[in-house]
Amino acid sequence: MPPSSSAARGTAYREWPSLEAPGPFPRLLPWLLLIGGAIGLLAASVLTVEKIAILRDPTYVPSCSINPVLSCGSVMTKPQAEAFGFPNPLLGIAGFAIVASIGAALLAGAAFRRWFWLGLQAGATFGVVFVHWLIFQSLYRIGALCPYCMAVWTVTIAIFWYVTLHNLNRYLPAPPTLSLITRYHGVVLTAWTVLLLALIGEQFWSYWRTLP
Amino acid sequence: MAMKLNANARISIGIAAAFAVVIAVLLAVNAAGSDDNTPAPAAGASADVDKHERLVRPDSHKLDVAADNKVTFVEFLDFECESCRAAFPAVEQLRKDYAGKVTFVVRYFPIPSHFNAERAARAVEAASKQGKFEQMYQKMYETQTEWGEQQVPADERFRGFAKDFGLDLAAFDKAYNDPATLERIKRDVADGEALGVTGTPTFFLNGSKIQPESLADLTASVDAALK
Repeated sequence: MPPSSSAARGTAYREWPSLEAPGPFPRLLPWLLLIGGAIGLLAASVLTVEKIAILRDPTYVPSCSINPVLSCGSVMTKPQAEAFGFPNPLLGIAGFAIVASIGAALLAGAAFRRWFWLGLQAGATFGVVFVHWLIFQSLYRIGALCPYCMAVWTVTIAIFWYVTLHNLNRYLPAPPTLSLITRYHGVVLTAWTVLLLALIGEQFWSYWRTLP
Repeated sequence: MAMKLNANARISIGIAAAFAVVIAVLLAVNAAGSDDNTPAPAAGASADVDKHERLVRPDSHKLDVAADNKVTFVEFLDFECESCRAAFPAVEQLRKDYAGKVTFVVRYFPIPSHFNAERAARAVEAASKQGKFEQMYQKMYETQTEWGEQQVPADERFRGFAKDFGLDLAAFDKAYNDPATLERIKRDVADGEALGVTGTPTFFLNGSKIQPESLADLTASVDAALK
């Protein structure tokens, strides 16, 4: 990966973004947006289709299981699955389609103005906050896991992290540790993931230990 | 830059590997611990005896008892489980239809993700000490929608049920909070796990696990067993 272009930080490109100021992850970020967006889009689509199937057969009550992945009533039938009054995956379909398109556009050589990047930052921030609320609900309120939801958690966190690093390096007030966390971007993301896995492991430990 | 990237990658992999090792060790420690508690059942006849002992213990609650003791219906249940509530009317109907012909046994199997399931089981067990097992069992399903799926302790509500039944509340409270009551429930869960119960409701008819999807399925299985 080419060196981070802290030298490019300045004001000139704010009016006229150019390809000379690619940000800290010029290759990683477009691919992450495209592939991460596609995974999120796929997961959100599957969840929407499943939701429709559940709505068609409202009498279906799956049995309650000690397996958190197959737990009763599935996560989707809970009120938290419609946080804004409509099924959450509809938000995902719209959001991830946009993210994937931005990734493809970057790969095609597009350059975006500051306001566009900040718009992506706003969307990614909303997404990551919402996803952590869902993680909390899933672990501590519903007590069940849903594999497609977890795919969405993963890509949302990764997209948020790299979009934020990109914008901190170019458009947002940089914290003093910015160069350090930019250099160790993978460490932060790994620690984040390990923390979530530890919470999942702890919450459902009584089940995992039954798996020989 | 290559050096820096390597450091980033190295530390990341290190954290992930350390986490994997911790989990593996914890699982191994747990597996070793549980081996001591549950010796592998001996083969053949003794395994069969073991299974029947596990299905109906001397302290297991019987809703009805068949005169000829020919057919035994065992349900592992969770009072906060929606599908157990969905099955409850069918089981009640079955009890009516086969009164005196089938022994109905209830075993506790509260699932950890259900916040009040263990409390409900304790309340039912405490009520059983005063001869009100069946009433409390029915009350739990009749009121499940009012207290289920919530993350707030339902102790007061369950105590209210005991009061409505005219139970001796001091004795009820004592049994409800008695560690022996919880131990009693956990023994049911352990039996269920040993029998391969992974969810609720799980039904055993004369020792075989059945998976009915309707009252008609249940009736057909019981009819076949009675023949």
